[in-house]
Amino acid sequence: MEIVEKIKAYKSIDNQSEIQKICLDKLQLSPLPNPKSEQWRLSNKSKFSNFLDYSVNEKDLNFDAPFPNTSQSIIRLVIGDNFPINLIEENYSITQLSEDKLVKYIKGQISCFDHNENWSDLLNLSLNCSKNTLGLKISGSKIPPIEIFSNASSNSLNAKTLIIFLEKNCEIDLLQVNLGKDNSSLSQSTFLCLEENSSLNHGVVSYGENKSNLLNSLNVIQQKNSEYNLGSLHFKFNYARFEIRIKQSEGNAKTNIKGMQITKKDEQISTYTKIDFDGPNGFLDQINKSLADDKSHAIFEGSIIVPKIAQKTDASQLSRNLLLSNFAQIDTKPQLEIIADDVKCKHGATISQLNEEELFYMRTRGITLTEASKLQLSSYFQEIISFIPVSKDRWDLLDKLLNEN
Amino acid sequence: MESKMKESNPILEVENLSASTDNLPILKGVSLTVYPGEIHAIMGRNGCGKSTLSKIIAGHPSYNITNGDIKFLGENINSLEPEERAQSGIFLGFQYPIEIPGVSNLEFLRVSTNARRKFLNKEELDTFDFEELVKEKLEIVKMDHAFLSRSVNQGFSGGEKKRNEILQMALLEPKIAILDETDSGLDIDALRIVASGIKKISNTQTGIILITHYQRLLDEIEPNFVHVMSDGQIIKTGGSDLALELERKGYEWTDNFIKET
Repeated sequence: MEIVEKIKAYKSIDNQSEIQKICLDKLQLSPLPNPKSEQWRLSNKSKFSNFLDYSVNEKDLNFDAPFPNTSQSIIRLVIGDNFPINLIEENYSITQLSEDKLVKYIKGQISCFDHNENWSDLLNLSLNCSKNTLGLKISGSKIPPIEIFSNASSNSLNAKTLIIFLEKNCEIDLLQVNLGKDNSSLSQSTFLCLEENSSLNHGVVSYGENKSNLLNSLNVIQQKNSEYNLGSLHFKFNYARFEIRIKQSEGNAKTNIKGMQITKKDEQISTYTKIDFDGPNGFLDQINKSLADDKSHAIFEGSIIVPKIAQKTDASQLSRNLLLSNFAQIDTKPQLEIIADDVKCKHGATISQLNEEELFYMRTRGITLTEASKLQLSSYFQEIISFIPVSKDRWDLLDKLLNEN
Repeated sequence: MESKMKESNPILEVENLSASTDNLPILKGVSLTVYPGEIHAIMGRNGCGKSTLSKIIAGHPSYNITNGDIKFLGENINSLEPEERAQSGIFLGFQYPIEIPGVSNLEFLRVSTNARRKFLNKEELDTFDFEELVKEKLEIVKMDHAFLSRSVNQGFSGGEKKRNEILQMALLEPKIAILDETDSGLDIDALRIVASGIKKISNTQTGIILITHYQRLLDEIEPNFVHVMSDGQIIKTGGSDLALELERKGYEWTDNFIKET
């Protein structure tokens, strides 16, 4: 059954929200992304089809967070909890966006959508109901770190949407955790708007279980003098796509991205990034790491768009990849599209294996090959993990990456 | 030349060893026996096979032994993995110690030391106990504690890297240490520190092989035997005076030995 019919069968037209109707109409015209398009040509067709196989589900079974939130200083939210949020403290406020504002904002976003580029968002918004949408407005200072969870239940296709407006001069640490259960598909779309002089340290940690799938789309708009730092980690998904679209709408903003994807068995995980500089003096420092083992496939495609208006842009995009098996595959394509003539832009890609001489050195000190490889990998991982904000130590990310199959 | 140490069993016996890499023969029948308490020096031109010999004894996977045996404490170790050789007491000090970004020197030293201790049936050390031990060993090579918090050899000067090698040797307490051009890149003071460290660590139960080009290290550590290598073979063996003669006459002098061989 095609995805549009599946959604309609689950939810009659009378029960659909305005946004759902708009998105379904768009999807109806062309229900699937073009497999020949740049964004989708490397996507594994059977895995993508498996993503859409599960039944649409708006309800979550009881969600058990991986560990209790024992820290008083961290705000923990679960998308779909429907727990009203209205935190107004002396220095800051975190309040829920009204339905009207949400609809208005999302409609504005949809009007700019490109079918192939934003197909994941179109699907997300077609599937989603207001219950599984969390819209927040954050302002003030000394804001406690925030953890936000999204999850998919077993044998279900769940969609979660997060929208955050960060008001002027506001600084926060936010960790977004996407968890996939056995045989599940999670569609997660996130829209972030950073107003002038605001700063967001954003962590995205996504990991699944057996045969879980993820479409994770992240859309960020940065106003002038804002700073956006993203540390991301995706692993243990049968199929996952992480799409990052960042627009420095007026230039004069700063973006730092350190991302990593780890694939094993026959998994496929890809990262697509598009960074648009729509004004002068923009800054980007991006590093994306992939590690592919067994028969898995890791993909990175990044593009940096520097139009004429974006003079004095300083952008760097580096893709570093480790291929651990003769049967694994890595595709990487960092790209620059520069029209402006006074810019400093660079990009590069490396694919290598574990360094044999480093391994031999460690082995001559009595360290086994397995341990030596782990030591090397841990140093490879640490650069990214250390960039992820909020309670990363409690998540034992390094241990998960080194010791779980 | 007879050694006064030969009453005990040899630590290392290299017997008619030939080895190649990528089908290119490098060693062509090397024989060498080291008894406890002995210091051997191996000298020779660049590319004569000195470093290859050290790597093959340590078990480098890029080289194939095509003939001959390496015996350590009487056991053939030809097929042992590098880590098994290291755990049992073979230490290779690298000519160019490898930098390992992101791996803390302290953790690296602790994991290495515990691997050796485990082999010796000694209790493994936790972080606190290891800190105590390493503090004591740092004195031997006059290294600052701050080196421990940095990544292995990363950003170290040439001298610091070599001192870090000797620190590892001190922690691992090997039965035999093969030090590949440990003196290269060292200034006079650093050479003295390294040489004094080697002397402090060595004893009547350990063997040392010094691979070097220069007499200056051998002025600090007097060898019992000096071997001259050329084209994958040991072409002459003598006492410490052989190194002095080499220093005076140069390697051209040894070309006559090749003809004789």
